[in-house]
Amino acid sequence: MILALSRTELTLLLRNKTAAALALGMPLLIGVLLVANRPADWTFTITLQLVMMLGFTVYMTVTTSLVARRQDLYLKRLRTGEASDSTVVVGLLVPAIALGLGQALVLLGMSTIGGAPLPERPLPLALAIVGGAAMCCAVGVATSGITSTPELAQITTAPFFFALMGGAMWTSLSDQVDYRMLLVPGGQFAELVRAAWGGPTDNVGVALAALVAWTAVGFGLATRYFRWEPRS
Amino acid sequence: MADMRDPVIQVEGLRCSYGDFEAVRGVDFEVAQGELFGLLGTNGAGKTTTMEAVEGLRKATGGRIRVLGVDPLTGRRKIRPRIGIMLQDSGFPADLTVAEMVAFWQATSSRKSDAAAAIEALDLAARRDVRIKQLSGGERRRLDLLLATLGKPELVFLDEPTTGLDPESRRRVWEVVRGLLADGTSVVLTTHYLEEAESLAERIAIMHAGRIAVSGRVSDVLARHPARIGFDLPAGFDVSLLPMLLGDVVCVPSGRVEVRTGELQRDLGELLDWARRDGRALTGLRAGHASLEDVFHAVRADEGVLSR
Repeated sequence: MILALSRTELTLLLRNKTAAALALGMPLLIGVLLVANRPADWTFTITLQLVMMLGFTVYMTVTTSLVARRQDLYLKRLRTGEASDSTVVVGLLVPAIALGLGQALVLLGMSTIGGAPLPERPLPLALAIVGGAAMCCAVGVATSGITSTPELAQITTAPFFFALMGGAMWTSLSDQVDYRMLLVPGGQFAELVRAAWGGPTDNVGVALAALVAWTAVGFGLATRYFRWEPRS
Repeated sequence: MADMRDPVIQVEGLRCSYGDFEAVRGVDFEVAQGELFGLLGTNGAGKTTTMEAVEGLRKATGGRIRVLGVDPLTGRRKIRPRIGIMLQDSGFPADLTVAEMVAFWQATSSRKSDAAAAIEALDLAARRDVRIKQLSGGERRRLDLLLATLGKPELVFLDEPTTGLDPESRRRVWEVVRGLLADGTSVVLTTHYLEEAESLAERIAIMHAGRIAVSGRVSDVLARHPARIGFDLPAGFDVSLLPMLLGDVVCVPSGRVEVRTGELQRDLGELLDWARRDGRALTGLRAGHASLEDVFHAVRADEGVLSR
């Protein structure tokens, strides 16, 4: 049942040109530009590529598509069927996660071909990507609850999106990382990516805890604010 | 009274609120297996809210609901494989085609069904590869009905299935509904069209302001209401010159005389005799038993005084 929901959702994402461009084109385009610039600091470049993927492909896509499906009264229809509420939500999230993971592979491959070293510690990288995607899904579902139209999603997603970018850059560009940076969404993500490419590992535990905490906060807000029908 | 078959739906004292507004204020009804139960009412009477509570989509603020023996809200998982729901307003993903939507719905359903036959039955075969956003309103409504009835569920909810349809499409929908009933499916239907309820429903309830104002078998409900005789008032004629009738005579400003009577045959005979004696032609003469429309208007006018 999840498979049927996800396949349909993927079809819808790819048939909507704006959504497809946002989810697929944007991070790839920026990824190419970053690599084409012959970066000196590969860790920073890869962090930026991956955080763009999280922001566009996962977070904004989840928020925008859920709002669009709700506005079309498609979510309401799904509740008349056999799928449970949680199955429906998971089914609709899977394509964004899958696209995000696929894109992460493409971006990493692109950087490797462009001359980036391979990660010394793959585990923190994998945890960063999976945890980052989970956090972005949870916060995306929550954000959809406070967004009344797909157009408005461009505004409502801005705070978390920029926190994600800003946090990642702040951490990535600082020599001395402190707890404040790790608490900003994106900050802990950047720290995990840095650890993967030979950076210090003393903050990995705190960074992971912060990622889990943000996911939990997002999940809590999602259960509270998610709506199946537009406000009449 | 027909023997009461096992009820597939039991609703007792149902109440639903939106904030401070109580949309449903104590509703009771039962739906027997295999019957079509019509839920009628004015706009805002609480029909859709009642339907959504019974379908398990809305939490009731009071009362008890049993659908196929279980609470539809907590037992949603249990009853969904056995029921079909056509909401009053529910949408489609606009970028899917008709065939894709049907295939998707089949994939999420545990009931076996024949997609091609279902598409054919609702006259959508020519549109199967068209994206849903290009369908007309009537075609969407038929697709909606198709999904709700796919795989022959035991119980089907139809919330205004024919609103906005042209007469041809409505007939098509009625055919499908009659086919369901012939197969033993129980149906709960809400509608604005009284002749639809009259021709399809076995029993009805008319809701008004969150309560059921009138309910019962269609024939019984109609029998409780006076029949009507109407004709144009001859020029220069006064109502006081009419023969003694058992019913109430009402003169409508447009120059028509309306008689509401519980003794249709006697009063009509009286009137025709009188016209023949005086050699008068009663133009625009109409006579008939009460229609659901009369009952409906009486409910609206009496604000629910007609409660059982």
